[in-house]
Amino acid sequence: MLDIQQLTKTLQPTRGAARKLAHKLNLHVAPGEVVAVLGPSGCGKSTLLKMIAGLEPFDSGRIMFDGADLAATPAHLRRFALMFQNFALFAHLNVLDNVAFGLIEQGLSKREARAQAQIMLERFGLGPLALQKVWLLSGGEQQRVALARALITQPRLLLLDEPFSALDADLRAQLRQEFSNHIATAGVATVLVTHDVQEARAMAGSAWRLDAGELARLW
Amino acid sequence: MLVAPALRLLWEGSASFELSSIKALWQDHYLRWRWVWSLLQATLTCGLVLLLGLPVAWVLARFDFMGRSLVLRLLMLPFVMPTLVAAMGVLSLWGPRGLANAWWGIDAQDTPWLLLYGNVFFNLCLLVRAGVDGLAQVSSAQLAAASTLGASPWRAFWRVEWPVAKPWFGSALCLVFLYCFSGFGLALVLGGQRYATLEVEIYTLVAYELKLAEASVLALFTMAITAAAALAYTLRAQHLAAPAQADAVPLQHVRTAAQRSMLAAALLILLVCCVAPVLAIAVRAVAAGPSAWAVLIDGDTLHALWNTLRFSTMAVALATLLGLTHALAAQRSSVLRTAMFLPYIVSPVTVAFGLLLLYPPWSASLALLVSAYALLAYPFIANAASTALANQPAHLVQAARTLGASPWRSFWRVTLPLLRPALRRGVAFAAASALGEFAVSLFLSRPEWTTLTTLIYQRLGKPGAANLDAAWVLACLLMALALLAFMLLERSPNTLTPSAKAHRA
Repeated sequence: MLDIQQLTKTLQPTRGAARKLAHKLNLHVAPGEVVAVLGPSGCGKSTLLKMIAGLEPFDSGRIMFDGADLAATPAHLRRFALMFQNFALFAHLNVLDNVAFGLIEQGLSKREARAQAQIMLERFGLGPLALQKVWLLSGGEQQRVALARALITQPRLLLLDEPFSALDADLRAQLRQEFSNHIATAGVATVLVTHDVQEARAMAGSAWRLDAGELARLW
Repeated sequence: MLVAPALRLLWEGSASFELSSIKALWQDHYLRWRWVWSLLQATLTCGLVLLLGLPVAWVLARFDFMGRSLVLRLLMLPFVMPTLVAAMGVLSLWGPRGLANAWWGIDAQDTPWLLLYGNVFFNLCLLVRAGVDGLAQVSSAQLAAASTLGASPWRAFWRVEWPVAKPWFGSALCLVFLYCFSGFGLALVLGGQRYATLEVEIYTLVAYELKLAEASVLALFTMAITAAAALAYTLRAQHLAAPAQADAVPLQHVRTAAQRSMLAAALLILLVCCVAPVLAIAVRAVAAGPSAWAVLIDGDTLHALWNTLRFSTMAVALATLLGLTHALAAQRSSVLRTAMFLPYIVSPVTVAFGLLLLYPPWSASLALLVSAYALLAYPFIANAASTALANQPAHLVQAARTLGASPWRSFWRVTLPLLRPALRRGVAFAAASALGEFAVSLFLSRPEWTTLTTLIYQRLGKPGAANLDAAWVLACLLMALALLAFMLLERSPNTLTPSAKAHRA
């Protein structure tokens, strides 16, 4: 279970006033739970995800997982998969190798990782596209590849940063349902960051609003 | 390798510095003409390339025609052409035994035009490429607005297009000035006695007259001017990072007679200024006959070829290591980013001379020679890698990290593969530069380390038509080698780079 305690982060720009992105912030995410964090653009939602993932330092507080403080655990050893707003697919690798990327880092041979990635792609309906270049895929297909890549490593926590913002309205509704099913099947604890209340209602069991560095419970 | 020789020169110059040294620069008629001409020829070249290059860049940026991408690709030709080969090309056109003399009786030997033409050959393409990039920043909406507000195409160019593209032309002109002022090979071969530049004077003082103190003062003066030009370039280049316009002006098909005339004129300018010298070398070499081509299997040539290849390979390997390390370090330090321009400030002659002064016991050592080659070639790699690194989206490495890759694994599996095309491009330029390196070879080489460039220079210095014919053939060989290295390493510029793909993905 993810347990964030008294997390504080202040952004000090070279010009202008300091901005509180997180102020003594507390958040708990139980196993299998999907928690949404809502808030306007620039309020620090993405930074919060990066702090959880270990990609961004913070001023004070603690991020715990299953009772262990993660302060000394680097990003690559946390086993938290972060799905970026713009997917962050590796353009030099094809679809199959993008999905297999994390498995190879876990020590699997290329052959074994590719075999598992192929099975994952079939589950996501992307089997025929395995050898395709990622930048030739449609937005929805890229989105599915990004989720498949994140879930295949069986992460302890899934972090979704505005996962549908780059898609049009019809595709967004379709993928929302599809993603909810995949996440439920995987049973992975998830933090969803979004500015879309509808999206949060459709996917998350509980939701918080982040404003001026503080979290307020919505439901 | 760079700062220490420059400091050594500073020391040597200041040790022998007297007020009379500065006075001599002004009072001595011979020296005054050298530095006035050095500045003048660089300024005149800037004027000429702007006059010729601006319309050519506009035509290439605005018109679509068959072979446009080939023309844009051919603009790279002078960048990979060894200086000495370019000088030979100019001589084969306009020299005493040149084609222009044979056909029309025109001999430009001992006139300033020979050097100016050589400068234009080398630098016109640089300005045109920068101009095409600059004009690509113009928004079609801005042009449409100007048109609806009553501006004719001519007025719209001066009031909308030129202000947008001006920084690109400005920065290119700084580089043109820098290259022309600190150029050595062209001035040595084409300048003759009267139109040689300060760099040639420094070489003469060191190699033939052994007047090191006087040479140091001249080298310091040169360094001050090139540092000012490099600083101007750095300041201007900071404003060039704007992304390409989303609503760029669409290319027009050439339809009207006026458009056809403009296109023909632009291509003619490129043909006369940038392609003709290359073709002239080939024509002269073919016309030289089989006896001249026998030089290719001559023992001296094979030895020089071997030296050229091994020195270049070693230098490129070292330059790749240096360039990549510098580019990675420069991501975290603006001082290191600025330091990438140092090799542009310190000319090859100054580097070689400084090294001679600094490490006299090693002056004829292979390590020093290869290091000097690498030093002059590595900015190509460092700049290409640094730009590619800066354009790489940060979230890709972050994604790799959250997928379990350590910092080193993220570099190896994500950063480096995405960097590869830029590295290959940098290495291509570095290889072409090392193959044609001339100034350093003249200063630091031993007789048994003759390279193709020094062999060509030796042949040029010997009397008789046979030697000149052999020099044409050797120039052809060197040109082919530089082109081959470049084509092997560089891919089509039209293919999407991984960085661009990553942005699209």
